[in-house]
Amino acid sequence: MGPSSSSADLSAEMEVDAFRRLFPLQFYERHLLESIRPDGRTHQQARDTTLALGAVASADGSALAKIGCTTMLAAIKMEVMTPTTDLPDEGNLTIEFHMPPICSPIVRPGKPADIAAVISKELSDTILSSGMINLKELSLVSGKTAWMAYLDIYCLDADGALFDAALLSAVAAFSHLQIPVVSVNDEGKVFIVSEEDKAGKPGNEPVNIDKRKLVLSNIPYSLTCLLHKNYILADPTAEEESIMETSLTVVLNSSRQLVSLYKPGGPVLAYTSALQDCVAMTMQRVKELQKILNEAISDMEVV
Amino acid sequence: MVGLSIGEKHFIKGGIAQDLRCDGRKRLSYRPLYVETGVIPQANGSARVRMGGTDVIASVKAELGKPSRLQPDKGKVSIYVDCSPLSTPLFQGRGGEELSAELSVALQLCLLGGKSGAGAGIDLSSLCIIDGKICWDLYIDGLVVSSNGNLLDALGAAIKAALSNTGIPKVHVAAAASNDEQPEVDISDEEFSQFDISLVPVIVTLTKVGRHYIVDATTEEESQMSSAVSVSVNRKGHICGLSKRGGAGLDPSIILDMISVAKHVSEQFTNQLDSEIAAAEAREDE
Amino acid sequence: MATKASASPSTYSPSTRRRKQERPNIKDPDWVRSDGRGFHQCRPAFLRTGAVNAAAGSAYAEFGNTKVIVSVFGPRESKKAMMYSDIGRLNCNISYTTFATSIRGQGSDHKEYSSMLHKALEGAIILESFPKTTVDVFALVLESGGSDLPVVISCASLALADAGIMMYDLVAAVSVSCLGTNLIIDPVLEEESYQDGSLMITFMPSRNEVTQMTITGEWSTQKIHEAMELCLDACSKLRTIMSSCLKEAAFASNE
Repeated sequence: MGPSSSSADLSAEMEVDAFRRLFPLQFYERHLLESIRPDGRTHQQARDTTLALGAVASADGSALAKIGCTTMLAAIKMEVMTPTTDLPDEGNLTIEFHMPPICSPIVRPGKPADIAAVISKELSDTILSSGMINLKELSLVSGKTAWMAYLDIYCLDADGALFDAALLSAVAAFSHLQIPVVSVNDEGKVFIVSEEDKAGKPGNEPVNIDKRKLVLSNIPYSLTCLLHKNYILADPTAEEESIMETSLTVVLNSSRQLVSLYKPGGPVLAYTSALQDCVAMTMQRVKELQKILNEAISDMEVV
Repeated sequence: MVGLSIGEKHFIKGGIAQDLRCDGRKRLSYRPLYVETGVIPQANGSARVRMGGTDVIASVKAELGKPSRLQPDKGKVSIYVDCSPLSTPLFQGRGGEELSAELSVALQLCLLGGKSGAGAGIDLSSLCIIDGKICWDLYIDGLVVSSNGNLLDALGAAIKAALSNTGIPKVHVAAAASNDEQPEVDISDEEFSQFDISLVPVIVTLTKVGRHYIVDATTEEESQMSSAVSVSVNRKGHICGLSKRGGAGLDPSIILDMISVAKHVSEQFTNQLDSEIAAAEAREDE
Repeated sequence: MATKASASPSTYSPSTRRRKQERPNIKDPDWVRSDGRGFHQCRPAFLRTGAVNAAAGSAYAEFGNTKVIVSVFGPRESKKAMMYSDIGRLNCNISYTTFATSIRGQGSDHKEYSSMLHKALEGAIILESFPKTTVDVFALVLESGGSDLPVVISCASLALADAGIMMYDLVAAVSVSCLGTNLIIDPVLEEESYQDGSLMITFMPSRNEVTQMTITGEWSTQKIHEAMELCLDACSKLRTIMSSCLKEAAFASNE
């Protein structure tokens, strides 16, 4: 009497909720056979995705991204630094991903989740290597001062596909970013030029009036898929991730080039055909995400 | 917590209701207070306060530092309390840490006043030497040697005594070369300025047991409390801080009544403490 | 701080040329608050329950620029090291996002807030209803706009109600700042930075009980009277808003 055969016998007389809790894998496999997932999606369908720009007033750029229940809040704060001697014309970018205790029952205060550090690394690798941001644009005075952009992404609600939501919120925050107008005084210290100062006192000439928006090229978009037997499930929820352990994340940029691809182990070994399927699904998803991002940007411009 | 039988609990509560506590005190009377100053030679000021079985030491250390960017014309004070695991088995491990943090915060609330500095027992602007450049940083450390209730009041008293014992060296500033450089200073070994403690408040904790409140509760009495309100009162009779402990909620009118009782009690306590401090300093000078 | 600065390439956030926030002349009878409110007028409150799906209960609160999320987890198993307890435990934590304050990463100097949240809530929760287990209340301040602690406390009691934790009453919290001779309710960050004193009350209006109260700065008894009156009145009003928020959520889920 293995658990699978006993479950088959029991399932006829058990309540759905109890079956789901006791035999989650069997519960899912039954759904998959019918080409549907418990939340009513098809295998390849991603959850509803929304974006809101400018969610945090105290930051220079911010965005709130929601994929299903997974919620990410990204905000950028611009600070001033002295560029390194080998790269005098470049600013820098620091990306941190946080999972505060509010987002999930598994995170406790003082003990950061292991996954947060992994996602943080993947995000900064992806964003820096995608070439989305030209670090030269962050320079203020060559060799003297440059911008350091601190991007902090907070997970407010963790329900699977954390990387996808985090990347989306990060990209949106950058497209919302408005760099403050600053001037540099004789000692090399940088000051914000406020509206009333613009009247043009001497020594107050803003140095970056024409560089307030970053030009984003080759924006990266991602899709995480779960591999289970021969099934490929796009955009998994936390429950799905806990039951089926092999995930594969594909990051493509807006010209459909592959930026990065993560398959962190897992019991399922993927055939190249499965990889190709995932890439094809990601291409579809890139179109959706581009549309959502553009709508969010144009919504903001109207307001 | 404290292992008490039902009979003992009734005895404590009954005694408080009849205004005759287990050790013979009335509800609003203190245990004998004993103050000793200058107990730690390395510190700029120190004092030890004993109230019955409660024994605490406070020390003040002054170091030169840089004022914070937000308040360039003020010195800095930090208060930290350490609960020695030796004093009560309860303080072993995390228990002591939590209590330490709670006491430190309560003392900061009571002694440091509002953001603008109004009502502070310690005048932070007197600690500043050069605006934005140099100031004194005061490190106030409290140590609980032995605990038998009413720690906050005892620590407050010890800090007040330690501050009155504190001599801060006079500082001579060499003419500063330029605006940017940190000016050179010369700390005098002989001349000290005394700290003005006339406005340092005392803390009075009223512990509510049953329908009555008592001052200077012992550990046994504290175990029977429903809540406690700590009020710090300065010589002018103004309230400089208040915090509440204990789970049970209180009717707003009871809080107001407790404040006025605390104010009344604080007068006696301030006088008693001041005369003890004076006596202790006289002993030290001999 | 000194070690932190040397570890990473030191950066600073640029400020405007005006060096210091000047304290306005509050004796001036024409002085108005920066957001145009009356002295005894609270900011409009926006409250929603069910902000975080992964939690047993949660709430989002927005008072002007102060935005917080509180999640409640449990009752769940206490940590292994905990001794047996026949009443439940309450565990509270408040953290700030790095972008909550105008200078990055300044929110971490509020370590005492967690224990103050605990003290404000413990008197309201019926701990006997979940023996041997722990309820965790975690708060994240998304944006700090002043009166952070009272907003977190009110929001936390709403999240507890959303999680179905038994309470005697909702806890509403309001603070008052003293500026010279004026009392202003629900201060914003700027007002808090130059206040002479502050008084915070957490209150269960239907039981007429104060669960926590703190005072800083110098106050006369008369002033405390006035300030308490003001706070208690505002707490009762806030409670009405909180309970209507819960009712709305209950209606929505029934339909």
